[in-house]
Parts: sequence; structure tokens; C-alpha cells
Amino acid sequence: MVFSSISFLFFFLPLLLLIYFFIPKKFRNYVLLIFSLIFYFFGEKWYVILLLLSCLVNYVCGLFIEKVEKKVCLVIGLVINIGILFYFKYVNFFIDNFTSVFGIDSFSLNVILPLGISFFTFQNISYLIDVYRKDVESQKNFFTYCTYIALFPQLVAGPIVRYKDVCDELDNRSESFTLFSEGVTRFIIGLAKKVLVADTLYNMYSSIMTGNMTVLSYWLVAFGFTLQIYYDFSGYTDMAIGLGKMFGFKFRENFDYPLISSSITEFWRRWHMSLSSFFRDYVYIPLGGNRCSFIKNIRNIFIVWLLTGLWHGADWNFIMWGLYFFVFLIFEKYFLKNYLKQGIISHIYTFVVVLISFVIFSITDLNTLWIYLKGLFGIGSSFLSSESIFYLKNNIVILIVAFLGMGPLFKTMVIRLKKGKLNKLVDVLGIVYIFLIFFLSVARIISSTFNPFIYFRF
Amino acid sequence: MKEKVITYFFVGILFVFPICSLLIKDMDISSYERRKLTTISDLKENFVDNLDDYLSDQFPGRNLLISSNSVFDRYILGNIDSNDVYIKDGYVIDKNYPLNDKNVAGFIDKINYINDSYLKNSNVFYTIIPDKGFFLDDDKYLKIDYDSMYSSLKNDIDISYIDVKSLLNLSDYYKTDIHIRQEAYFKVLKEIASSLGFDYYSVDYDENILDNFYGASYSKVPSFMKPDKLKFLSNDQIKSAKVKHLEYGDKSVYDMDKVNGSDLYNIFLSGPSSLIEIDNVNSISDKELIIFRDSFASSFTPLLIPYYSKITLVDLRYIKMDLVSDYLDFTNKDVLFMYSTLIVNDSNILKVNVK
Repeated sequence: MVFSSISFLFFFLPLLLLIYFFIPKKFRNYVLLIFSLIFYFFGEKWYVILLLLSCLVNYVCGLFIEKVEKKVCLVIGLVINIGILFYFKYVNFFIDNFTSVFGIDSFSLNVILPLGISFFTFQNISYLIDVYRKDVESQKNFFTYCTYIALFPQLVAGPIVRYKDVCDELDNRSESFTLFSEGVTRFIIGLAKKVLVADTLYNMYSSIMTGNMTVLSYWLVAFGFTLQIYYDFSGYTDMAIGLGKMFGFKFRENFDYPLISSSITEFWRRWHMSLSSFFRDYVYIPLGGNRCSFIKNIRNIFIVWLLTGLWHGADWNFIMWGLYFFVFLIFEKYFLKNYLKQGIISHIYTFVVVLISFVIFSITDLNTLWIYLKGLFGIGSSFLSSESIFYLKNNIVILIVAFLGMGPLFKTMVIRLKKGKLNKLVDVLGIVYIFLIFFLSVARIISSTFNPFIYFRF
Repeated sequence: MKEKVITYFFVGILFVFPICSLLIKDMDISSYERRKLTTISDLKENFVDNLDDYLSDQFPGRNLLISSNSVFDRYILGNIDSNDVYIKDGYVIDKNYPLNDKNVAGFIDKINYINDSYLKNSNVFYTIIPDKGFFLDDDKYLKIDYDSMYSSLKNDIDISYIDVKSLLNLSDYYKTDIHIRQEAYFKVLKEIASSLGFDYYSVDYDENILDNFYGASYSKVPSFMKPDKLKFLSNDQIKSAKVKHLEYGDKSVYDMDKVNGSDLYNIFLSGPSSLIEIDNVNSISDKELIIFRDSFASSFTPLLIPYYSKITLVDLRYIKMDLVSDYLDFTNKDVLFMYSTLIVNDSNILKVNVK
């Protein structure tokens, strides 16, 4: 099930709200857990058992790490988690490459990737390590632990929620009109980002890619990839955070206007922050971080970006994508640091590097990727055609809206207006705006064919 | 206050629609979208997989929402090809783009193969009906290079060509459907008569009009567009013609059972059908005609009935050419290939195995 579906909006959510707010508080986690499992079952059917088994293993490991044998239990837990992730996500990729390198007849295990496995595995890992480090106490109630892992707002596409951030809320949280209405507003904004902006950009570049490509087309496609992924993923995060608030949870932010960054280093401080901080806290720093020799520091950064690439997908283009950022981050760290200050050139540099990165990210076939990379720089294609100009003109409104929405322009405008005399009018218009975009989003969902979120496959 | 308004309004919306949906009786068919809707019986078969389709299809105010989305897309976002259709002078025009050179070449190969393999002793012609995209302005809309397509066809198909595109204009088509209005086909009929060599003479027809023809493109544009009127022409020869479908058996030229169906255009020869034989029992001619065709010929064929004793329609989208040759003898018959540019650009759907 996805948030941007009629079955979620007008069946799952009202039913959950009805039951959740009409039962005593002590049963609310059970309701959330049951509905979260139903939510997952609608998308993944019997993989829900895998989810529960994963919870059980980590719950038990957590208890044992705290009570009995710390390191052994942590290692066992990590091996099981990484083993599950490897089997379901990487085994086919591994077999394909192994058989190809050694000239063996290729075969497939026909393993289907369960939705959200990367997210809930990383949450389990962070929990075990935090318990091991005594940053948090282990969860004693199995159902509460399952609720933490399976909580539907963040189950299939993040953000990666740390146990220590929500452990208090799992046991004791308070719902309120203020929090609920903030959640509604955030959810609707996220829904509109996904349905009205990201899906429109998807339609744009899908049409362009079927025609004759020019340099302009390649850049439009690159622009489309980048903004669609941003609005899709940050829209999902907004919905997850919004839904969390409706039920009394305060998840951490996952995006902070990453596309207006003035360097790649800054970009990764603002993009998918829960993943970046996971790798920083559980991989980079334990490896020695930057408090080691130059070579080791390079090695540590390399490992983090290799893993970041791999986390996003079991294909060579994702590995290339991670290593592409590794190269730029090293370059910035050792050479460009002093040149990349706030300034238009820095922003353009960052945006172009990110734009190209999402071409690498979006095209899994390496031959096609090479054609696109050459095309961006005018190798083997003409600059313009009537077709590419048509697509530019036909999509100019969404491109401008999406471009302006990359930064805090709209948010700043609202804050300034609210400080003035028109405070109440702004509030009223704000409510009208929210429900107008909700209406348009529902209209678009009704009109469109099924179009799942991009980040589900990770 | 603001918080309570947002909360109550949002929760209200979430509950009102499902409750209305429960109270309103399910619809089986949407005439607006021309398709069968998912109903409660589909839901009983597979609740998990069909829930979303069911709720979406039976959503209260579904048509209004689809239309609102269309307005938003076309007039706010400025997508002139929203839902892959253009609107020009009140005509909804399906976007036939890009030109698929492989399919055009495939079409040529298939027609030449049929001609070489089966039609050596027949009087063979072909004509290509332009889709509405042909009439779009070059500079404003994205359209295929029709000149290039027609040029390839003329150069490479080894059959006599009947040019009808220069006779047609946009007003000859339905506004909300891809097809040509039957009453606009007479100029095409005259041209085809002169090529095939039968004497065209004026025939009297009774005019019948059906209101509210929601064509195939209707649901792709805002619903404030008016539906078309569908006119069909009849006379004694058409009424008495014996129509036999390979799949459905005996029918009539105008199938009035289709008036209440999802597509009113299907009154012409009962809609999609692989092989139809039409015997004109009152014919003054003994000539026979075989038409390889798509749906454009459905409304055109009734106008040919007075001039032939027998007309056979073959739709290669639904029957393999190898099978057709088992059913039909082409010797000494007129044969006409009548396809639209839509099929030329999508010729892989024609079931012809070129050997």
C-alpha cells in the first residue's frame, strides 16, 4: 500500500483513526502494530512474516546484548541483519557478476526484494549498536519493539528512525489538535509534492525519452530525474513525518533544501539526512573517521560512499553513483574547500554535479547511461530540435514551480506575511490552499494509473 | 481554532467519501471512460489486489475529479498534450507521436507480402486515412512527419495508391472520437469508386441521429466539452444486407444493441470483429470486394454496400493472415487495404507473419 493511493487515504487511514482514537491509550501501540502489518501485507503479502522474524531476532539480540554476552550477541545480530539484506537485495547481483567473471552458466534464485528491507534492516542495526553502546536500554516488550520497526509511516521508505529518538514516544506520547493539524498539513504538502510535482516531472521525462534526443532533451531529462527524485522522496518523508505527528510521534527531518547547497559536502548534510548520519555514526566514525592518517581517512570515506551507493541498489550504476560522490567529496575536502563559498558559481557547480549524479542513479543500463552522459555534453547529438523545444515550452510551468520550490522561498514568504497585518487572512488562505492541493492530489490519484514511490525499491 | 478547522475538515473528508461510497450503488460501466468498472464482485474475488481499483472506480464524484485533474493539467500547468491529446478548434486530437520507422517499414512489408502471396489475380488498391493529428499546425504541436510516412508508403508499397488525405479536413471527424463521421465519407467513396472502377451513383439514405456520442477521447479532456452526435445512414439495401461475423454469427449492418454499450461507434458493424461477410441480396452488381481494414472502415463500409454483391472485411488485428487465406478466395475480386496512419505507426499489431 502507498500513501498516495485511494485505499490508503479513504479506507486504511480513516479506519485506523477511528479505532486508534476511540480505544484506551494502553492499547494504541497494538492498534498501530496491527495496522502497520496490514499496511505491509497489502504491498508485500507474506513477506510480513520476514518482517516479524527480523523483529524477533533483533528483539532477542537486544535483550542478550544488554544482559548476557555483549559483543557476541551484537555480532550475531549484525550478521543476521546483513545476511538477510544481502540475500534479498544483493544475491542476484552477486550471482550475475560471479558467473560472468568466472564464465559459469548464469542462474537466478528468483529472489524478490521486499519493500523497505533496507530501511527496517538499518533501523534494527542502529538499535543493536545503540544498545551495545549503552546509548539506550533494550526494549523489553516485543510488541513495542515490533511497533517501532513496523510503524507504517516510516516502514517502507524511511526516514531511518533511531530507536533512541522514539523510545520515549513509544511508551508515552500525547496526541493533540496542534500536533494532529500540523501532521495533516505536512502530510498534504508531501502528498502534493509526490502527486502534483514529482509525478508530473516523471511524465515529462518519460515522454522526452521516447523521442529523438538533443542536448536540450538530455538536460531536461537530467533536470526531471533530479527534481522528481527530490520531490518524490522528500514528499514521502513529509507524509511520513505528518502521519507520525497525527499519532503523536516526532520523527527527525530527512531533508533540508539539499538542491540549493553550495557544495557536495553541504548537499550530503541536507539530503537523506537519516542515511548520512547512519553511515557517519555506525561506519565512518567506528572506522576512525578523520582522526587517522590521510590514507586511512580516504579509505574510510571510500567505504562509506561505496556502501551508500550499494545501499541504493544492487547495480553497477549505484556503485558508480556512490563513488562519483566520493570523488567530488575528496576533491572538495582537499582542494576546493576554500573556493566553494556561498555564491552563484558554487550553487551552479553543486546543482550540475548533482544533476549528473541523478542521471547515473536513474539509468541502470550502462550502455544507455554512457549515451546519456555523452548527450549531456553534446557528443553525438544536435543541440536543439522542434521536439525538445516543444517539451520545454509544454512543461515550463512545472519546471519553474519545481525549481522555485527547491529552496525555502515559499516558506519564507508565508512567514513574512504572517508577521504582518494580514496574519489572519494568511491563516485562512493557508487552510484553503492546503485543502485545494489535497483536492487536486486526490483528483490526480483518481485519474492516474498506479505509480509507486521511487524509494520503495531501496 | 485553525488547528481544529484543519483537523475536523480533514477527518471529515476522510470519512465522508467512504460513507457516500457505501450508500451509493456501484456502477458496472462508465460511459464517460468507456470501460467496465471494478465492482464489489471483483473485490470479493481478491480483496487485497482489487481494493484500490474498486475504491478508485466507485469513488463518489469520480468523473468530476478526472475532469478537474484535466483542467489543472491543461490550463494551470499548461500541458497542451495533457493525457496525450490536444484540443484544436474544439476537436480532441490524440497525440500520434513519435513516428515509428520500424513499424512503418513493417507495415510496408506486411502489405507487400499479402499482395505477393495471395493477391496475384485480384484488383488491388490501398488507401491510408490520416488521423486527426495530420491537421495540426506544424509549429505549435508535436506531430509525426506525415509527409515522410506517406512518401515511404507510396515509394515502397507495390500496389496502386488512392490518395484521400487531400480530400479530408478536420471537420470531417468526430470532435471527441478518432474516427471520421459517416456522412463525411462520400468524397472518399467517389475517389475509391473511380480507382476501383465501379460506377458511383447517388443513393438515397434515411438519416438517423444518436445524441450523446462520447467518443474514445472524451474522458481525456475536461468534461465541459459537448459530446458528439452520431449520424448513420440507412436504406433498404443496407437494411436487407445479410451480415455474418466469424465470431458472433448473424448480425445487422447497424447493431442497435450497441446503443447502450460503452462505445456508440460500435453500432457500425458491431465493433471489433476479425472477419465479417456482408451479402447484398438486392445488388445489381455481381462484383465482390475484400477490405483489409481497421475501425475507420466500420462506418465507411455501409456506404459501399449498394455497389457490391458481397463485401468481406478482414481485421488483421484479430485474425492471423494464415487463417484468412483458409476462409477466403481472392481470385478476380476487388481488394482494398484501408488503414489509418495510427495503424501504420503501430503495425506490429497486425498478425501477418512475413516469410
